[in-house]
Amino acid sequence: MTRIYKFIWLAVLFGLAGTAVAQPSPAVSEKDYLDEVPVVLSVSRLPQRLDETPGAVTIIDRQMIRMSGARDAADLLRLVPGFRVSNSFEANTPQGSYHTSQNDYSNHMQILVDGRSVYSVYLRGGTGPGLQAVALEDIERIEVHRGSNSAAYGARAFLGTINIVTRDPVDTMGTHAQAALGDNGIQDTLVRLGWGDDQARFRLSADGRADDGLRGDSGGARVQRVNLRADLRTSDQDMVELRTGQSVIEAGVGFAGQDGNAPRSRQLDTAFIQLDWKRSLGVDQDLALQVSHTAESIRDRFPYAPAPALTIDFGGRATNENISLQHTLRATPTLRLVWGGELRRETIVSRPLYDTDSAFVTDFTRLFSNAEWRLHPDLLLNAGALYERSSIGGEHTSPRVMLNWQVTDGHTLRYGLTQAFRPPSTFEKFANVRYYLGGTLADSTDVARGNVSSEKVQTRELGYLAELPGKVASLDVRVFEERITDFVKRPSYSLPGSGNNNEAFDYVNGEDFDIHGYEYQLKWKPWQDGQLIYGQAWVDSTQSVGTGRVGLYGSQSFMFMQHLPQGFDFSLMYYQADASHFPGADEAAPAFSRTDVRLARAMRLGGRRAELSLVVQNLGTSYQDFMPSFRFHQQAYVMLRLEN
Amino acid sequence: MPLSAFLRPGLPLLLFLAFAAGVVRANEAAVLVVSSERSPAYLEAAEAVASELGRLTTETRRQVLQLTAADLPAYRGAAPRLYVALGAEACSLLGRTPAPAPVLCALLPRASFERVLRESGRRAGASLSALYLNQPLGRQLDLMRMALPQARRVGVLWGADAQASEAMLEAAAQARGLKVVGVPVKPDEPVFNGLKKILDESDLLLALADPQIYNSSSIQNILLASFRAQVPMLAFSPAYVRAGALMAVYSTPAQIGQQAGLIARGVLQGQPLGVPQYPLQFEVSVNEHVARSLGLKLDAGNLAERLRRQERGP
Repeated sequence: MTRIYKFIWLAVLFGLAGTAVAQPSPAVSEKDYLDEVPVVLSVSRLPQRLDETPGAVTIIDRQMIRMSGARDAADLLRLVPGFRVSNSFEANTPQGSYHTSQNDYSNHMQILVDGRSVYSVYLRGGTGPGLQAVALEDIERIEVHRGSNSAAYGARAFLGTINIVTRDPVDTMGTHAQAALGDNGIQDTLVRLGWGDDQARFRLSADGRADDGLRGDSGGARVQRVNLRADLRTSDQDMVELRTGQSVIEAGVGFAGQDGNAPRSRQLDTAFIQLDWKRSLGVDQDLALQVSHTAESIRDRFPYAPAPALTIDFGGRATNENISLQHTLRATPTLRLVWGGELRRETIVSRPLYDTDSAFVTDFTRLFSNAEWRLHPDLLLNAGALYERSSIGGEHTSPRVMLNWQVTDGHTLRYGLTQAFRPPSTFEKFANVRYYLGGTLADSTDVARGNVSSEKVQTRELGYLAELPGKVASLDVRVFEERITDFVKRPSYSLPGSGNNNEAFDYVNGEDFDIHGYEYQLKWKPWQDGQLIYGQAWVDSTQSVGTGRVGLYGSQSFMFMQHLPQGFDFSLMYYQADASHFPGADEAAPAFSRTDVRLARAMRLGGRRAELSLVVQNLGTSYQDFMPSFRFHQQAYVMLRLEN
Repeated sequence: MPLSAFLRPGLPLLLFLAFAAGVVRANEAAVLVVSSERSPAYLEAAEAVASELGRLTTETRRQVLQLTAADLPAYRGAAPRLYVALGAEACSLLGRTPAPAPVLCALLPRASFERVLRESGRRAGASLSALYLNQPLGRQLDLMRMALPQARRVGVLWGADAQASEAMLEAAAQARGLKVVGVPVKPDEPVFNGLKKILDESDLLLALADPQIYNSSSIQNILLASFRAQVPMLAFSPAYVRAGALMAVYSTPAQIGQQAGLIARGVLQGQPLGVPQYPLQFEVSVNEHVARSLGLKLDAGNLAERLRRQERGP
């Protein structure tokens, strides 16, 4: 931790030194009218419109983030149709999962922060820690692509992508401080500094999120983060962006009375550095190079009560290195192309999980190309594919075709087919968890035999997007059929000599099932300064759980936001989900609902802009979250925010 | 120094002929076009002045002589009947002290011309007048209303010496039922803070040329921030549209040259130089990719035509 802090402070000093250059201010002349200026909104900077994207996309913008009263990004995923969210830190950190219900790690979605893949290599590709990578206040928007997106982002985008875009440093200049205090030990703080000029801009954020956790779990959860971003314009064509940061998540996990899973504090420490170089090659094409390095370190150990000499340990380290290059090109006025490649290496070292001190290295090579081809003014074809070769899952190609037909102004129909693969994680392939007592093997839990290959999903979907003029209302419908084959299961098998009951768990491709259903989201501004967002999903899954099937279940989310006179803001959130199951844990997930309200007032305090807000989460009775004994009780907090 | 010194290789043949004509008939120059520098925009304007004058008689075309401001001190020919100064530098040079003939400054923004007046202590009139390069504010607001009928609030970043424009814009906006959200930007102050307010409170960002606010390094942040906020920019040059502004209304150097040529014709025919004018001819440029991203369907040609028709009146 010390090392990376040192680096950040060096970067800060460098940044401060770099801003002290004064500029002459010339008078206006004809040159201002006649001279060329560099291309800014080049082809890759202009995002696809929602009626042009190859799939359904939900965008959670800053206003929604702010007015939701959410304390982390996972909480916000409730607003995305088809998602189920847990606030528990038990398995890793709060997480959301889409369609597959929830397993311990929610590893069927890709999660990106500013283009960097942040799924946890150590935690089998789980999205939880990635959702905690940046302070909520630094997020510009979260774009959730609902449905397989592997043609663009590779294996992890099996059922979709969560793309977190942080705010541009231009929008976070000056100082900003906020603190929240409330029930259940809620204590959230943030300090942010933004400075710089046109050539170089910086942002340094340090924040913390702390509370006593869910009622019934083993104690509080604390997240501490520091993130630095530097955007440097090195020439009219070149932009270099440097990001570095660290997040430390400490949570009480385990259960009293379970010797093998005793109450303790677990720490996930993730540090990263990311460098992006973006070069504009004119109005119609540009290049983007990204290099990143991430290091995860997990500390999770406790004495085994029946034999205190034995320490049970789930800790270890993982790293990943990435380099990618992407070329975006408007080949003709009707054809836009994105193509590129990526090399990625994941390394895991953990004696407790793999019974060796050797590193497990997985290499990925990816080549991708996507074309956006306007066949006709009303007809857009998105066609693309990603070829991926990994040392753990072999070679796969994930193609996608999606046709968007604008029936009339503001009404678009979408139809598409995709296929995607998820190679097994290192753990699923090589797990070897053994417990020794005084040098002799006492028990083994997960001992993978390596006979596991990639999961596959084939998706058919039909979409409809309506957008009323003036952005008064929009409706997005997705009807889907996701056929999953070779889903990875965890059966037990007899392993003589493995200690205890001579059984162990293996990971095998054990099940094929279908998920189908529909979901939609409505956004409506019924009157001045008011907005209503409603989403609903009906999902029917033939996935087995226990002796039955997951079956049909529904969920819905509602958000209402209203700006009121005299700087007041009011918002209300409601979420409801039917009973279903957490297949990963084979646990019943009972029906529940949750209502949150927020009232805030903008004001001025000592010449600074300020906002005081009150949030009450889960008005009403408590609900079960994740484990049967965990309950989310009503809690309230007050937050004061100051900026200048 | 002989005028042939201007004859450098690489100039277009047409200009070569124009210059050659000047060399031969230097003594008969009726109109001296003095450009701030020799670059394509000035040459294009100068050429348009000459061809417009050429419509008077073929003789007058030959009586148009082109020089650059740097070469003016070396000019030994007889005084012309009119100077056409292209650009702020040429205008400043010719406007500083009363010239032997009237001076028409063109291809320069109004602010540059007013600066020349301020510095020379002179007043615009028959001996010194101008044809501005910038568009009348009303025209820009009319374009905004045509392209974005829903938009009501116009955001403007005001530079250090914009007081005069502020009042003009207020009046023009009021006449059209629009509201101005103006934020002053102090010299050497970053535009971020003011820009934030504008993007929060406006439907459109009206960019008015001011190198202190809009320059090739600041434009990146301004355009990106305006795009993020979905507050499109109405800019002042086609280069800004290529860069990412939604649209611009502007006059090309050829259009300015032609109108300057028309004024020059009047002077040669004995009319006095009138009050400073805004350009009559203009173009509209739209960045179709940006428009598309913002969910707008705009046609530059159609907008320009409707704008011209509206100005011509019923």
